[in-house]
Amino acid sequence: MTRIIDALTWWWGLLLVFGVLALGCILLPLPFVIEIVIFSIYAIGCNFLLGRVGFISFGQPAYLAVGAYATAFYLFYAGTNPYVGVLIGIAAGLAASLAIGPLFVRLRSDYFALVNLALAVIIYYLMQKVLAGVTHGDNGLWFLTQIDSTPVLDLTRPSQFLVFALLVAFAVWALYKYLDDSIFGACCLAAKVNEDKLRFLGYSNFRIRLAAFVIANTTTALAGALYAVYLGFVSPEIASPSRAADPIVVTILGGVGTLYGPIVGAIAYTGMKDLISKLVGNWELLIGALVVFIMLAGETGILGTAEGLAKRALRLVRGGGRSEIKTMRGSKV
Amino acid sequence: MIDPHLIPSGIVFGLSLGSIFFLMTVGLSLCFGMMRVISLDQLLYYTLGGYLAYSISLAAGSLWVGVLGGVAVGGLAGLAVERLIFARIYERQVTFSMITSFGILIAGVGVIKSIWGLVPRPVSVPIAAQIDILGADVPVYRLVVVAIAALVYVGIWLFLHRTIIGKAIRAGIEDVEHVEGLGINVARLFTLTFIIAGALSGLAGALNAPLIMVDPQMGLDVMAFAFMVVIIGGLGSLKGTLISSLLVGQIVSLGSLIYAPLAQMAPFAVMLLILLVRPTGLFGSPLLKR
Repeated sequence: MTRIIDALTWWWGLLLVFGVLALGCILLPLPFVIEIVIFSIYAIGCNFLLGRVGFISFGQPAYLAVGAYATAFYLFYAGTNPYVGVLIGIAAGLAASLAIGPLFVRLRSDYFALVNLALAVIIYYLMQKVLAGVTHGDNGLWFLTQIDSTPVLDLTRPSQFLVFALLVAFAVWALYKYLDDSIFGACCLAAKVNEDKLRFLGYSNFRIRLAAFVIANTTTALAGALYAVYLGFVSPEIASPSRAADPIVVTILGGVGTLYGPIVGAIAYTGMKDLISKLVGNWELLIGALVVFIMLAGETGILGTAEGLAKRALRLVRGGGRSEIKTMRGSKV
Repeated sequence: MIDPHLIPSGIVFGLSLGSIFFLMTVGLSLCFGMMRVISLDQLLYYTLGGYLAYSISLAAGSLWVGVLGGVAVGGLAGLAVERLIFARIYERQVTFSMITSFGILIAGVGVIKSIWGLVPRPVSVPIAAQIDILGADVPVYRLVVVAIAALVYVGIWLFLHRTIIGKAIRAGIEDVEHVEGLGINVARLFTLTFIIAGALSGLAGALNAPLIMVDPQMGLDVMAFAFMVVIIGGLGSLKGTLISSLLVGQIVSLGSLIYAPLAQMAPFAVMLLILLVRPTGLFGSPLLKR
């Protein structure tokens, strides 16, 4: 009995969040919800790297493109089954991050960020110019009509694709929640905070970082594969360096290192993008200014800021809040 | 394989490209060395420099006035951004400044788009003459760009080694706290470094404008090369920046003679090789205080 309750307390947060997301489909347009789900899978890798390991990756579009193009190559040239396509995207992401990870994770975090962005640009050029014979350059690969409709969950229909995406996202979040709770998650945090102490405990910094790098970037490649299957179209634009900030912005909006941050961030980001581009048109200006503002305001993200405000309000309501706040401030100093 | 007649012009092309890279990345490198920030907004001042060269050379009829305008506005924009934003974030980690400056870059590109529009604009070359080097025609303007970059390098070197302020900046790159302990106003040194960096980025953009078309994405287009240059040379090293920008320029130029798509890929391969041997680049210091 207690085991069931334990299991329930572990799962209920996940079930609640994804229940709300699933309910959101009733109120919100379908493409919007699908965009949010894929985007949050895209951002969780970046969130994990930044919040848990202390690596900021400006190169996430590179891994997104690896997943998307692997799926696209399969669906365009070889097969028709979208599930196999997604699996191939994941495998490609795994292979790519295993290949470059050992070199990248040795770097200091500032070099890591620069090298990753350079990688994204290289993949952009690779897909746009060097491999133009295979990727059709800027025109991209179109294969929407070549995707087979599959039994049970037909991925060619948006409504059933959403169910699939939600299931995948649920699995991804369960994995990351498990990782956060595990010793591995604690080691990642330790590698971020003090790598020397971690080494004294007998862990290998390199291995822990490599594992985190591979997990995060394979998740990103999975998001790329989902994009490819959903849109039925992939172009080099997916690796465009001007979009390199997207996952970072989402991570920062949602709150760095929080489990559900990417979902909150993706909802806020996609919603604002739609609203702003409808109202003003010039939306880069506002998103850039927003990033600067959030960074200066103290990088806790939307949820973190709201939580802080709510706690303060609760204390005030309970009475005697003022003195409590004073002691809190006192203890901080 | 390579047409031997193309080699001299290829080398000059690579030299001029390397000169532009040097002017653009020396700011990035100085800011990292001095303030321990990665200032991606240098690419914004580069783009601004290019656009001012375009607008002023159209209005005044001379590119050189436009170049001066680009340098001035690059420096002023650097000053404003440093005072308003960077002054608040020096205490934070390097990655923090990287995200913030990327936000500045994106916002600035948005501003440029709303002022000048999305269409690429051509800028006329001020010196159309060509001279003959070993049987190949070489545009004089490219040689002028190389000469200007060489002058800037000598100027910066003299400034850093022969003036008190420059020596203070060099000492700051070694250890800021000691400089502060000597009673030197470090905040003002930071601002000065940032103005120099912004002005040089503006100069790079303005000089490069006639060689490419100016468009809002021009900063993002060179971003990968700027990164490769600072990574290969090592962040914070003036000598490293010079050597690696010349190296990357030659790789791009001669690589494109052998096989065109190689131009974009080869510097990346070189960068990976160098990182394998030295994770902090050729001249980057392995241990950094702060």
